Amino acid sequence: MAAEAAQKVEALEAQAQRLLGAFTRAGYEQVAPSIIQPAGLFLDVVGEALRARTYVFTDPEGEELCLRPDLTVPTCRLHLARHPGGTVPARYCYNGPAFRYQTGSADSAHPREFRQAGIESFAAADRERDDAAVLALIVQALREAGLEQYQLKIGDLGLFSALLEALAMPKRWRRLLRHYFWRPEAFHAELARLTSAAALKQLGVPRELGERLDPDKPEEAENLVAEYFDQSGLEIVGTRTLPEITERVLAEVADARETPLAPETAALIESYVAIKAPAREAAGKIEALQRSSGIDLGPALDAFRRRLSLLEAAGVTTSGATFSAEFGRELEYYTGFVFEIRVAKLGPKSPIAGGGRYDSLVADVGASAAVPAVGSSIHTERLLAVLSGEAP
Amino acid sequence: MRSKLVLALPSKGRLMEQSAEMLAQAGLTVSKSGSPRGYKGEIASLPGVEVNFISSSEIAQFLKNGTAHLGVTGEDLLREAISDCDERVAFLKPCGFGHADVVVAVPACWIDVRRMADLEEMAVSFRRIHGRRVRVATKYMNLTRRFFSQKGVTGYRIVESFGATEGAPAAGLAELIVDITTTGITLQANGLKLLDDGVILRSEANLVASKVASWSPALRRLERQIVAQLSAKIAAK
Repeated sequence: MAAEAAQKVEALEAQAQRLLGAFTRAGYEQVAPSIIQPAGLFLDVVGEALRARTYVFTDPEGEELCLRPDLTVPTCRLHLARHPGGTVPARYCYNGPAFRYQTGSADSAHPREFRQAGIESFAAADRERDDAAVLALIVQALREAGLEQYQLKIGDLGLFSALLEALAMPKRWRRLLRHYFWRPEAFHAELARLTSAAALKQLGVPRELGERLDPDKPEEAENLVAEYFDQSGLEIVGTRTLPEITERVLAEVADARETPLAPETAALIESYVAIKAPAREAAGKIEALQRSSGIDLGPALDAFRRRLSLLEAAGVTTSGATFSAEFGRELEYYTGFVFEIRVAKLGPKSPIAGGGRYDSLVADVGASAAVPAVGSSIHTERLLAVLSGEAP
Repeated sequence: MRSKLVLALPSKGRLMEQSAEMLAQAGLTVSKSGSPRGYKGEIASLPGVEVNFISSSEIAQFLKNGTAHLGVTGEDLLREAISDCDERVAFLKPCGFGHADVVVAVPACWIDVRRMADLEEMAVSFRRIHGRRVRVATKYMNLTRRFFSQKGVTGYRIVESFGATEGAPAAGLAELIVDITTTGITLQANGLKLLDDGVILRSEANLVASKVASWSPALRRLERQIVAQLSAKIAAK
């Protein structure tokens, strides 16, 4: 990339100070996590897909490192370094560079080196209140920087989880559907498999073994699998243990004997995922779905409504916000509320800010148990482009 | 000064011998110019050709950036090294040697995993049990990433491996591998098996032209002549 004009650097710096000013006034402590991060941790947490977009390198000692592709994971690490366990409530803000390889060529809306300004809040007890507080502060900071017109898009992965919990199906099917949720095609295919008796009966494990196994007797099954290994000359090689392999073999056997998912249940899941509506209206639609199908989403729907009210009370107009049930599908570490702030000029592929709740990330990074966490970051080059009228 | 056609050939091992043999049979005997320990060569019947002996993986780089006009190397190395492979190089002739399949192999004791789709499900439970992603040892990072993403497998991470990859699962360095195999015997000896739909690429050595090298009409004529002589030889076989 060519050197940046000094003028643009100054403008970005001035804008960053305005954003950070809003954050620190709200009680968020400014931090500067390391730019160079251990690559292994990132790859374990965010997966191989992001590796293709991360600058990974090896230092002279042979250690694999990376230039941080975002600031959320580094801030989690910083929080854990200060508070082992992570359960002490803390709020941080930052402004600094992040790096992503852009396939094809980098352009001004997708630079390979960009500055993120953002906030992260850990271990707050009242989740909805904290969700609302984080989004309200981001909106406030954007307003102080000069942004007046924007569109708000929200989603709630907690509702999806609650829907799965409310539907009768084996626990492992819920786990699979939650896993595949991020990839619409695979999700659809998995739903189709679970509703088809023929597909479920396609036993992958050797038939002579499968026929002898009883999913309700895991200990006995382990012996039978061990016996089968002996007879076929197989040995345990590598990390996975006999109980672990047996568990999945039993899951396959159990699937083959399971009653398939009712077509109505699959249809209900698909119709929930398809909901797209203004936020308030969406709550009504979900409630209607709940009533017509006789399921109970429990506290998740109340939480969704309460969050909307808290947002209004904090000065965020939710009447123009769009809810999309499948929103959040590209961002694998979110677990609950998710949001994105867009402006018409930049289009849907280049949001100005985004964020959400990620209650399992702190544990993935090293805490011994899950820690409530919610955060958001602003793409500051895009914001400046919009405010200075440079955006296409 | 008239520029020469740069032909990059493998500098060692079976691939070097087989490339030389193939060219010699086509009447294009390559001899070392200067020191026999040097890395330059020539073809007596085609004085416009300069031969460079370099390592197979470097040949891919030479063709990618146009330093060489032609080269003989494995398709696996080319597809791994060049993300927009078909834009940058043209495959002129498969050579009939250097056969190797790039495959996904897992421990044979994984009786619950036979297809790529099983791998994804296994990865979910692996992460739940071990608290980390399942690791794939390979030197083919790009081929692996592309193939896994095509098959919808996401719950893994790659660890780079530059040798004895088949031993990685038993050594606890990775859970599965992507590697080349010719007969499958090494896989078996290491307690591994191929996945049913786990062949990423059936590779062999190819005569390849760089599309980004600087080509003059004279060099194109030389290229055509080399291809014609090789084709005659392959047809005669």
